[in-house]
Amino acid sequence: MSEKNLPLVEVNHISKRYPVLANSGDRLSALFDMLRGRAPTRHTTVLSDINFKLMPGCSIGIIGENGAGKSTLLKLITRVLTPSEGEVITRGAIGALLELGAGFHPEYSGRENVRLSAALYGIGDAELKEKMLEIEQFADIGRYMDEPTKHYSSGMIVRLGFAIIAAVRPPLLITDEVLGVGDESFQKKCSRWIDDYVSSGGTLLLVSHSMYHVQKLCREAIWLHQGKVEMHGDVYNVTQSYLAWHESRQTQTSHVETRRASDYEFGIESVICNGLDASAELVFPARGDFGIEAVLTSKDGTPPTMMCGWVRVDGTPVYGISSEMEKITARELGDGRYSFRLVFPQLALLPGTYNLRVHSLDTAGLRLFQTWQCDVKISGESRAFGLMQMPHRWE
Amino acid sequence: MKPAYRSVFRELLRRELGERYRGSFLGVLWHLLLPLSQLLVLSWVFSHLLQARTQFENLSYAAFLALGLWPWNLFANAVSNSVAALTGSAALIGKIALPHHLLVDAKVSASVLLDLAGFAVVLVVLVLLGSPLKPSGLPVVLLSLVVLCIFALGFANIIAVLNVFLRDVGAAISQILSLLFFLTPVIYDSGQLPSEIQRWLNLNPFAAPIIAIRHAFLGLPVDWRHLCVSGMVALIIAYLGYALLRRARPHLEDYL
Repeated sequence: MSEKNLPLVEVNHISKRYPVLANSGDRLSALFDMLRGRAPTRHTTVLSDINFKLMPGCSIGIIGENGAGKSTLLKLITRVLTPSEGEVITRGAIGALLELGAGFHPEYSGRENVRLSAALYGIGDAELKEKMLEIEQFADIGRYMDEPTKHYSSGMIVRLGFAIIAAVRPPLLITDEVLGVGDESFQKKCSRWIDDYVSSGGTLLLVSHSMYHVQKLCREAIWLHQGKVEMHGDVYNVTQSYLAWHESRQTQTSHVETRRASDYEFGIESVICNGLDASAELVFPARGDFGIEAVLTSKDGTPPTMMCGWVRVDGTPVYGISSEMEKITARELGDGRYSFRLVFPQLALLPGTYNLRVHSLDTAGLRLFQTWQCDVKISGESRAFGLMQMPHRWE
Repeated sequence: MKPAYRSVFRELLRRELGERYRGSFLGVLWHLLLPLSQLLVLSWVFSHLLQARTQFENLSYAAFLALGLWPWNLFANAVSNSVAALTGSAALIGKIALPHHLLVDAKVSASVLLDLAGFAVVLVVLVLLGSPLKPSGLPVVLLSLVVLCIFALGFANIIAVLNVFLRDVGAAISQILSLLFFLTPVIYDSGQLPSEIQRWLNLNPFAAPIIAIRHAFLGLPVDWRHLCVSGMVALIIAYLGYALLRRARPHLEDYL
């Protein structure tokens, strides 16, 4: 097999456990475990049995919620961490942009930090002499090159870090969502560089929460969930399953609402939509007048603010307003109860399922207390795209 | 991917050296001023205040002390500086792949280089002031210093690793070093001690190189047997140090 067909990275059944260091005795026992060549007795597992191959030119995106082990996995591949079990085999240099300014010493100048980073990438003195100018030009931070990096803005740190990678041009680049920091023009420069890098045979291993980026740059994706591979395969399949999982989880959590209006300083006593006390899904024809009557409560006698919003099922906000924004005062019903009536004439939402939310806030509209919600299915037929019917005409 | 070890080491060493007098006005001049002022203090206290004498003719007590104190400091400073070689670089170790031993090597090298420079300055001044130091002793002096450096490197690795697991090591090591200082013939000559105690003192592996340096400079016979044993012990310690670092390497990041 030629060099080209060998995987750049082979991750063979790796697990990573961190020792638990709750009390001072744990460190002592960990020291003895280490001397005897055993694994520490008390530990938490952050990654278990991860297994994949990364072929040249076949970029992989890694997705997953916070704490799923994505960054730990990248650190294992770049050999910053050592796996507790299994092995990582890598071929060729790996460029890593894992954290903002990782490996930069704040007291040293940009140039000095570049020298150490470059040496760690295996660039010797003679080669660095040629590349230093290239790095300076790419980073484009002018006289800051000779200032301590503690005086840098976060954008400048990213510029310098990226400039080193661009000069080294490793066959594999591992990044952990740090490129979003630079300004517009530098981001363009970076994405141009990455596009060029990928199209000329470079390979990416990318952690990102932006499904757009992952789909654009990668062919495969790995979904990590609680330290295990939940799904691995074609980028579109994996990202869609991941998003669907997120949606379902969000709706699950938000339905748990057991507290009553009187538990809150500003609560929601009742919400009636079009004369119906909506508890399950409400069906409503498109382009009808949608009326909401809400009774809110206030413990200290100051009038509450009502906020009302439409949200798509996946959580994308469609439209939201509050009584405070529009200087509306509630009708007082006495006993700390206040009523609001809000009408959306000829509701412009396109057919589909939406989530209607009503919130109670304090008088100034700053603190949010209770949330009421229900699913509203807008019935009807429309071939238009998007969320809302926008007034338009053809001329 | 292989890092360019030499460049990485040089860069780390440059940082260590630069760190010392960062932000100070005199900067590098301190390398010259510190040993000189130390020597001045020593000679004033011991030769004028206490009127201490040595058994070696023509050799002032201050000169006698300097010949032992700088080699000892070369060892002791290197060891005590290395306590934080790994813990102090947690920001690097946890973020980028880096050959860990280079961190300790750079720490020890920087410390040794500065103390060697100080020793050289002190020797020049002593000769100018008329101390009878024999240049023919230089090869033995250098050999003894190498033995001390190997000791320093070995202990530096061990202590740097242990300190990652238990931060108590840092506190303990300064006490241990000051005890060792008195158990090593630096401020006294082993010849002044009763022969019973001298035998025990010979078990201290740091004694031989220090005594050898003094004897070589004064043109006295060198105890090769003890110096060789000391060198062997140093090599064993150095080996143990690297073995410990190699074994601990996969775990270091977890405890930093």
